[in-house]
Formats: sequence, structure tokens, C-alpha cells
Amino acid sequence: MTTGPFSPKMQKAPWTVGLAIFFSLASLLTLFVWIPLDIETGVIETFRRRVTIGDAMAPTIMAVAILVVSVVMGILTVFEPAENSSDVKEDLDKQSFVFLARLVIVVSIGLVLMVYLGPMVVDLINTLGGEIGSYRNLRATYPYKLIGYVFGGFVLIFGIISVVENRFSMNGALVSIIAVVVITMLYELPFDNLLLPPNGAN
Amino acid sequence: MGLLDHIWLGIVTVFTVDPVFSIAGLPISMTIIMVFLGLIFGIFVGATPGIGGPVAMAISLPILISIFGFKADALLPVLGFLVGIMKGSTVGGAVPAILFNTPGTPDSLMTTLDGYPLTKKGQPGKALRVAHFSSVSGDTISDIVLITGAPFLAIIVERFLDFPEKAALIILSLAFVSAVVGSNVWKGLLAALLGLFMAYIGTGEDGHPRLSMGSDNLANGFPLISAVLGVLILGEVFKSLEDMWREMRETSTITKVEVKGDNKLHLSDIRKILPFIGISASIGTMIGALPGIGSTLAATLGYATGRKIHKGSPAFGEGAIEGIAATEAANSAVAGANLIPVLSLGIPGNISAVFILLATESIGGFVPGPQVFRLVPDQINQEMVYAFGLFTAMIFANGLNWTFGGVFMRWMGVMIKIPKQRLLPIVLLLTLTAIYVQQTNMFAVYVTLGFGFLGYFMRKLNFSVLAFVIAYILANNLEESMRQAFAVTGADPWFLFASPTSIIFVVISILVVIFFARNQKDLN
Repeated sequence: MTTGPFSPKMQKAPWTVGLAIFFSLASLLTLFVWIPLDIETGVIETFRRRVTIGDAMAPTIMAVAILVVSVVMGILTVFEPAENSSDVKEDLDKQSFVFLARLVIVVSIGLVLMVYLGPMVVDLINTLGGEIGSYRNLRATYPYKLIGYVFGGFVLIFGIISVVENRFSMNGALVSIIAVVVITMLYELPFDNLLLPPNGAN
Repeated sequence: MGLLDHIWLGIVTVFTVDPVFSIAGLPISMTIIMVFLGLIFGIFVGATPGIGGPVAMAISLPILISIFGFKADALLPVLGFLVGIMKGSTVGGAVPAILFNTPGTPDSLMTTLDGYPLTKKGQPGKALRVAHFSSVSGDTISDIVLITGAPFLAIIVERFLDFPEKAALIILSLAFVSAVVGSNVWKGLLAALLGLFMAYIGTGEDGHPRLSMGSDNLANGFPLISAVLGVLILGEVFKSLEDMWREMRETSTITKVEVKGDNKLHLSDIRKILPFIGISASIGTMIGALPGIGSTLAATLGYATGRKIHKGSPAFGEGAIEGIAATEAANSAVAGANLIPVLSLGIPGNISAVFILLATESIGGFVPGPQVFRLVPDQINQEMVYAFGLFTAMIFANGLNWTFGGVFMRWMGVMIKIPKQRLLPIVLLLTLTAIYVQQTNMFAVYVTLGFGFLGYFMRKLNFSVLAFVIAYILANNLEESMRQAFAVTGADPWFLFASPTSIIFVVISILVVIFFARNQKDLN
């Protein structure tokens, strides 16, 4: 039994109502703060008596349209009868966020290793007296150029497999090693000009 | 140069330019090889539950561009490979549906209804042969409609559409996709508007990149390929991983099938299924030509129509070959017709068309749209040559599919054994690597992941990712058309109502939204 001002449909779709409020506020902020501060031409520009559309036109129209659509969506969700609520299907619950948190952690560790492991190994060797130069100078040299990608890639694949299977398995580790080696070979062997992460221009 | 000259040049370009080797004196061009490899790869991924044609196209595109570069002569080999994947994956999708009751692609879901019962009867070979025959027939019919229809539609569009009408047509397409895809019109519209808005970040004509918040990384906007692959592919990967994590791997036991009885496809079988193929191919082609409506609906409608006209036994759902034919012909017929709006209007209607457009945008030298089919006296329209080259590649892919496709398809039953939870993380790394290799900076990787999470949330909350992506791709075209329309109408703020055609497009856009908003519940 539901009571109060909110319809059962809204209770079934709290995210839809929340998003309607979020996008309404975000579009107002965009219209009155972001667009005026971050676009230098107006909605309409006049230059030597020639009237043209300015850079602010398209984002302004979109922000107004997002505001209107969000308000309509929110109102309909709150006030429409609930019997036909299949159109506001939501599939996001606490479990989704538990999964997402695990996924984000694993992907982040993988990417951090991918970007920083190579330079860290080079720094370590230099600190121990190896004097091999900076990573920047070694990023086209084996094995330094592949350290980050191979280890980071392995952690990314193996980590996700382990999250999904809820266990660490030798089989999963083996699949991850094979996969990352095959992908590395796919890019490294046939192409001299392709750069694996993190060895690009920036 | 006339139309026939362009058609001939298109064919010659596909078969003779850039020969890699020759067989019995016949040169085998790079495009031909790429179509073949794409088709095999397509069948392979179609038969692998968890990856379908779109994922394969997404992973392949950056790699292909890395291999072939950005010059115009890369266009046909790259498009050939993508077309091969598109065609192969529709055929391959039927394999796990028939053999293991697990659809390889969502549009093969209806194939399980009659395909799996036939397998249980000991006739998997027959079911696969019917699926192959129907799928390739539907695809071929659809391609014929594309090849004959797209140029004429383009000529009509070119004659009647000026800038105001083009802007109105893009608005109509977006309204249609937003309203039709997904179960809530308002969410569809919001997704499309968000796509448009995000595409306007960091772009514009002024020296100051708009809405970039002072970030150098955003000065050129979000990389298109990051946005598209993130929302379409990574979003799906994240959601599928979560689904599997929740299920904690439902143990799917693979039952060994004992092959017995008639497993051949006879002339009498073909006679039985031909009417079903004809009807379903027509349904699939019509649906494919409309933006936003995918092959899953085509398969459902094809199957439902087939069931209505089917008499005799076995009934639909009990192993009727007509059921397999009705589904496979319908979902495969979507593939060719899907390219009608992209080639004649420059408007992608679905995911495969998005990747074809993405390839042409990345490589350059070919901008899909009505100007592709413009005949210029005494000159070669290179874009038209490429268009007919693409058609030739499609016909060639169909030829390969007719001859070799069935054999490869029947080998692919083994793909079901690959566990999806092991495959998807590999797809993730491959996608991120492909993005990095093309963009050569980690910012593009982070943006792709960001859009991936956006795609995940959109899927979980039932927002249309297709509407978002199509809007993102068309955003700059829309703005450019609006700027031009404003200029040519002498700064008329009502330029969208400047001609009867644009008024009609705008009115239909509004009517489409109202109609689907009012009838949503009935449609659901």
C-alpha cells in the first residue's frame, strides 16, 4: 500500500525522477553559468552587418531542450498512474554499485601499472646504479617499452575475471597471460610505427 | 562520365587495385582479401556468445586504420572488412542458437525456437543449412534493394533538399530514433539531446574552444571514436560482466547432440521455405531502411508473420524449418537496407552503419550523403566510384557467404565453449589498446572508459544508447546545416519553416514524438 504525494510509479523509478531533477538543475547551471563563462561568441553574432549563428546557439538550444524534456519526464513519472510502468524500467541497485566499485578498482590498478610501472622500473634501475637513462629515452627499447602494458594489461584482464568469478584461478591467470601476450604481439610484430600504452606522444 | 562508367570503375577498383598475389594469373586485390577475412571473422564472432558484429567492428576499425592509414586508398579494404564482419556475424549468430539454445546475437533469439528443437531431433545439420540459406537469401535481397534504392533516394534528396531541409531532416531522424528505440520517448529524447550537447564541447567556429573549461585535452572535443566505442562497446561489456557476476556463472551444460536422420537441405525444403524467406526479407528490408529499428524487431516480426501463414506440422516452435527461415531471412535482410539512410542521406540508422560512417570519417575521401551519387559531366565522381566499390564488396561478400559461409558456419559450434567472462575483459583491453594506438594519448583511454560507464548507466536505466551515439555523430552536421540555412535565408530565425519540405519534416518530427509518447504503453 502506498501513501503520500508520490505515485507508486515514482517509487518504482526513483532514478528517473532523480535524473530529471539533476538534468533540470544542470541545464539551468549550463544556461546561466557555464555557457556565458565558457563561450566567447553569443547566440547570434553580427560582424560587418553580417548576421551569423554564434557558437553559443547550439549548446543553448540543447540546454533549453534538456531542461524541457527533463521537466516533462519528471512530471510524467511522478504523476502518471503506475499500472503501466514498464516504460520506466530501472535495473540499478546496491549490488550494481558493489560490482562497479570492484570493477573501477581493478581497472584503475591496471591502468596505473600500465602508465607508471615502466618509468618506475627504469627509475629503480637508475637508483640501484644501472644508469640506463630516462624512461622517455627508453620507451622504444625492449623490454622497458612493454613492461607497463604487459603487467597492467594482465592485471586488468585477470582482475576483471577474478571479480566476475569471485575467485582467483590459475586458469584465469593463464588465459590473461596468453591474451595480453597475443595482443602485444598483434601490435608489436607487424607494425613498427604503432605505440602501445603509455609510449605515445603525450 | 555516366552512371555505368562509375559502376564499372567501382568494380575494377575492388578487383584489381593493389593486388597482393595472383591465382592462375588472376590478381587478388587487398580489398578482396579483406572482405574474405572480415567474413570469416564475422562468422567466428557471430558464433561466439558475448561478442557480436558491432563489438568486432569496434575492435577492428582502429586496428585497420593503423594498418591501412588515413589515405583514400585505405577506404575499400577497411570498408570491405567491416562489410564482411557485418554479413558474417548475422550468419554466425544462428550457430549457438541452433546447437546450444544460446543466441550468439540478440536477433538470433527467435532462431532458438525452432532451431534447437530440430537439433534435439538429431537434425542440427539441416537446421544450420536452412539458417544459412535463409540468412544469405535475406541479405542478398536486402543488398539488391540497397544498390538500386540508395542512388535514387540520394538523387531525390539532392534535388529537393537545401540547407534548411537538411537540418530539418536530421532533426526528424533524431526524433524518430529517440522515439522508436527504447521504451520511453522522453528518455530517448534526453539521450539524443545529451549526445548533441556533449558533441558541442570543445568544437565551434570561434578560436576559443567552447565549453572546454580551459582544458587543452578538451580543446578539440571528446575523440569521436572514444565516445562511440565507450558508449556502445564498453557500456555493453560492463553490463554483461555485471550480469555474469550476479548469476555467478549459471552452469551451462553442453548436451552432446546425436546426429541422426535427414540433415541435408533438399529442393523440396527450399520450396517450402522460399515464401517465408520472401516475406521476412521484405519485412527486414523495410525495417532496416528506417533509422533506429534494429534486426531484433525484424526477426520478431518475421517470425510472427511466418507463424500466421504457416500450416501443417511440425508447428512453429516445434522444429519447423519455416520458423528458422522466417527469423534468419528477416534479421539478415536488415543488414543491407541499414546502409540506405547512411549512403543516401549521411544519416546512420543503426550500429553497423555507425561504424561504416566512423570508418569513412576517420579515413576521409568519402563522405556518405546525397552528393555521393552526383554525376558531374566529363568528370569522375570519386565518391561514387567508392560507393559502387562498396556495393561490389557487398555482392562479393554475399558470393563468398553463399559458397564458403555455410561450411565455416558449421565449424563454429566449438565457439560456445569459450567462457564469456574470460572473453569480455580481453575485449576491454583490446578496445582500450585500439583507442590508444589510434589517438596515442591516455586521455583518449580515460574518455573511452568514462563514456563506457555512461553507456553502462544508460543501459541500466533504460536510456537509448543508439539515440545518444547517432546524435553525437550527427551533431556537427546539424549545427553546420543550421548555420548555412541561417545564412542562405538571410538570417531568418524561422529558417526551419522556410519551405514546405522542411515544415513537413518538422511537423512529422513533432508528430512522431507525440504518437510514440501517447502509445508507449500499448507498444510495450
